[in-house]
Amino acid sequence: MNTNEYIKSGILEDYVLGTASEQERKEVECMSKIYPEIKTELSALEQSIGQYISFYQKTPPAHLKEKIFAQMTFDETPAVETELPGVETEPEISTIKVVPMWSKLAIAASLLLAALSVSLYVSKNKVSEEMAAVKTELEGINAQKAQTDQLLALYGNSQNELVTLKGTEKSPESEVKVFWNKQNNEVALLVDKLPKTDAAHQYQLWTIVDGKPVDMGMIDADFDGKIHTMKTISGNVAAFAITLEKAGGSPSPTLEEMYVMAAV
Amino acid sequence: MITSKIKIPEEELVASLKRNERAAFDYLYDNYSAALYGLISKIIKVEEDAENVMQDSFIKIWRKIGDYDPSKGRLFTWMVNIARNTSIDLIRKNKNVYKEDIDTSITKVDGMMSFQPETSTIDLRDLMENLKPERRELLELVYLQGYTQEDAAEHLKIPLGTAKSRIRTALQDLKSYFAI
Repeated sequence: MNTNEYIKSGILEDYVLGTASEQERKEVECMSKIYPEIKTELSALEQSIGQYISFYQKTPPAHLKEKIFAQMTFDETPAVETELPGVETEPEISTIKVVPMWSKLAIAASLLLAALSVSLYVSKNKVSEEMAAVKTELEGINAQKAQTDQLLALYGNSQNELVTLKGTEKSPESEVKVFWNKQNNEVALLVDKLPKTDAAHQYQLWTIVDGKPVDMGMIDADFDGKIHTMKTISGNVAAFAITLEKAGGSPSPTLEEMYVMAAV
Repeated sequence: MITSKIKIPEEELVASLKRNERAAFDYLYDNYSAALYGLISKIIKVEEDAENVMQDSFIKIWRKIGDYDPSKGRLFTWMVNIARNTSIDLIRKNKNVYKEDIDTSITKVDGMMSFQPETSTIDLRDLMENLKPERRELLELVYLQGYTQEDAAEHLKIPLGTAKSRIRTALQDLKSYFAI
């Protein structure tokens, strides 16, 4: 897997500068969990930003701290003293001093045993809970890894041209990435950001070939984080665009409902 | 990067912050407020506003510390993002009021470097001066003024690709400098 390409794509810089989209942020966090070299690069960049900021250090006015802390409430540190009330029962114990030593020891031993079993039981439960949590997390990570592997392959494939479809006036925040394999004209698509659709509508990808729109396939309703394989390109593509159509798609695009586009 | 007498390992600090212990927040404030306030003051030029943003940011840090996930990055970066976002939000809200300010500050990048650095940051100052002005300018626009890379490129009338690679090189310059 060529993580170098990914590092060079500039997405990590976007991430540390805070200019990455929500989708890109998730992607970077996921990638850095999986690939140590990405994590290392990210930490180094974070470090750079830290240095950059500390260059501008300026001590805030002295009165500010008090003003800020006056608005905060804190939890008391659980001090050792809080466990002491249990000891207060001591006077009662002194009244039953006649009880033979062995019985005290027996009681102490059984109490200890009871405490131990409770603690063992609790920790066993905790362990199985934790195991279950780890298992779900692992499944999640595996699923994410499969997806990021696929994404990395798209980034790493030198035959792929990355076309970023930018939001139109209708939806300036929107952004979609199209990976166009120039060799075999296959097209993959990843939604960075598009408004949610209702059940009656679906997004549809189009290419403009010789001035005419050509249907490139539908985008699933739960498009978040999904890599879509679209139809194969034929002809001379001048642009990509996505419109919102009725569920299942339309034979020709509704131009007023164009959300993102990019000229090629 | 932050000067302090006693260093608490970040892990311990985070644990104690998450337990909402006053001592931890004291430590946090004493050690990081200068960095945060410096950044805020760089973005917000009106002192009173900068103080308010500092206040809001620190309260946000306190409120949201439960959400901080160490596996996603360092505590400092997380706090810086809160301070930066709070500052940029204010700028955007007062866009018209500050617009002039932003524009003049961009043309006077060199003037901005006259911030009095503390002795420990003298070598850093050298570095900042060695950063090519066009790279520094972009970093300021994007990082301190909250421009998107697209907007910054447009503003400086350079292609987006050039802007991206300049930002990348600027960060790499800083990175390699500190890797020594």
